[in-house]
Amino acid sequence: MRLHILAALALALASAFALYGINYDTRQLERRMLAKERAIKKARNDIAVLKAERAHLARPDRIESLARAQGLRPATERQLFAGPDEAMADVFSTAAPRSARTSRAE
Amino acid sequence: MVRSVTIKQLGRATAQWPRGKPGEAVQSGRMRTLVATLAITIAFMAIAGQLVHLALSSQFSITSSMTATIGESFARPDIVDRHGRLLATDVKKQSLFADPARVLDRDEVVEKLAVILPNINQAELRKNLSDRNRRFVWIRRGLSPKMAQRIHNLGLPGLAFRPELRRAYPGGPLAGHVLGHVNIDNKGTTGFERYIDEVVGVEAVHGATLAEQAPARLSLDIGVQYAVEDELAIAMRRFGSRGAAGIVLDIDTGEVLASASLPDVDPARPTMSLDPERIDKVANSTFELGSVFKIVTVAMALENAVVSLDTMVDVRAPLTAGRFTIRDLHPAGRPLSVADIFIRSSNVGAGVLALEAGAQRSREFFERLRLLDPIKTEIGPIAAPQVPNQWGETEIITTSYGHGIAVAPLQFASAAATLLNGGKRVLPTFVKRQPNATDANERLIKSVTSRDIRTIMLRNVTDPAGTGKRAKVLGYPVGGKTGTAEIPGAGGYKKDAVISSFLAAFPMNKPKYLVFVLLFEPTGTEESGGKVLAGRNAAPTAGHIIRRIGPLLGLLPTSKAAAG
Repeated sequence: MRLHILAALALALASAFALYGINYDTRQLERRMLAKERAIKKARNDIAVLKAERAHLARPDRIESLARAQGLRPATERQLFAGPDEAMADVFSTAAPRSARTSRAE
Repeated sequence: MVRSVTIKQLGRATAQWPRGKPGEAVQSGRMRTLVATLAITIAFMAIAGQLVHLALSSQFSITSSMTATIGESFARPDIVDRHGRLLATDVKKQSLFADPARVLDRDEVVEKLAVILPNINQAELRKNLSDRNRRFVWIRRGLSPKMAQRIHNLGLPGLAFRPELRRAYPGGPLAGHVLGHVNIDNKGTTGFERYIDEVVGVEAVHGATLAEQAPARLSLDIGVQYAVEDELAIAMRRFGSRGAAGIVLDIDTGEVLASASLPDVDPARPTMSLDPERIDKVANSTFELGSVFKIVTVAMALENAVVSLDTMVDVRAPLTAGRFTIRDLHPAGRPLSVADIFIRSSNVGAGVLALEAGAQRSREFFERLRLLDPIKTEIGPIAAPQVPNQWGETEIITTSYGHGIAVAPLQFASAAATLLNGGKRVLPTFVKRQPNATDANERLIKSVTSRDIRTIMLRNVTDPAGTGKRAKVLGYPVGGKTGTAEIPGAGGYKKDAVISSFLAAFPMNKPKYLVFVLLFEPTGTEESGGKVLAGRNAAPTAGHIIRRIGPLLGLLPTSKAAAG
């Protein structure tokens, strides 16, 4: 009988400690979760700013001036020797490339 | 409850005890212990059960919102172009507010803030801070992080920051008219931003929580958009015009690839749109477009089988309609074929064609092309066309060459796209279409008519006598039609104030894109040979645009067109 009571008491104490432990752990986890959530929110905000800055740097008027400074220009017909079909026929033919190509393409 | 029942049972057991036998006493003592243990166990189990329940359903939150009374703002999805390049996004910024009840020295706050924020309204701020009943006064919203730090460093009590979402437009004024504006609460008020509020959906938020929606995809291509804006700006300088507008339209799907109106607006500065000079000339105003309307007139005559391209028409005598006499700028002095009427842009010829078809068929054709009814796009309703109330002889003649009827350039461009794409209806759209979307648009005109229109538009550019010959582009077969329309003013049409326009399509062997360029009140400069004619200014501008956007649209220049 006494054994029963002692066992019950021990069980009650053990469960109380376990409960406290779980409670404490839960709070810890919740705190960590909130910190993570805050970090995610901050990261997302940073990504939004970086995305906007990247798009600002890649805006066409800036790219154009940089490209022109590199000596680039829009593609023109002068860069082509022939139409696509002729060009492909040329690639597949076994004949030597026409010498005119170099002169025309400058 | 469990406990009270147990006590009652115990009480009953106690009451029975004196009367029972000794063996019964032991029996009942055990019984009592058992009952008590059972009761305690049940009680503990109830507590444990409740704990488990609380642990599992920990969804409740004890964080209360301190900002509910301040009002909400909106988290918006990003706006990207057809290739996913960013045009508008939300970023977190700090907004400064004051709690007047906690401000110690009003004058100090006003003076110190005025140093950092020089354009602040000091009198209003002082008045707001004097009102001790208010607990919340906005001072400046959307501060840069640097500014916020400087104000924070002042260490003034009663001032505090609240993070908010603000709209950022990384492209600056690029495509400003299409994008529209948002208000101080990040809510869309005009243009595509408004469409996002009404159709795509925004999230009402407190603080700075970004929207989780997928970005809204425009039909615009910002490379093409920039090329058009840039070429128009060059043309404005070169030809001394007051304004310019340009559209690039996919003639099959109706997707607008570029829509530019100069002078432009910055989407981040809503007040700029209040300037009447900066109105969106593509969709928000109507103009008498002039001779570009002859595309419609000739198509109408062909569609109704009034004439064929080779029919000869006598254009020698000027036409009289009411008190007007219609003459040609360069009278031919001989009968012209229908194709030549188009290429030489003969007003008399267009008038004769319209008269031969008659009022009924002229009007019906305008209606069929949706040129008489208001239409709507994602950036709002297009300015409603101004059409004649009655279709007398005068109206038939003037509308045949684009006067007496005013439509928005975008509406005209979509009608012209129908004439070029084989006759299918075109609904202009600013949202990217799904590539596999089935094209179930109704047919409005015969494909034969469309083919004839393509033929004469191409000839108008390739023919040395064509008004559009200066739009020729090496590498791309281009077709087009010029228009030089006089601008109506007080008491008749203004002298020498014109809208010169050029409606082009390319590549003409299988037209895919339409380019419509308008220059407002160009002056005769050296570049245009002292003339304000569209063939001298709008046509070459369209040519420059096509030369630049062709490669961007993935069209390979062809040597055949280069040779021709």
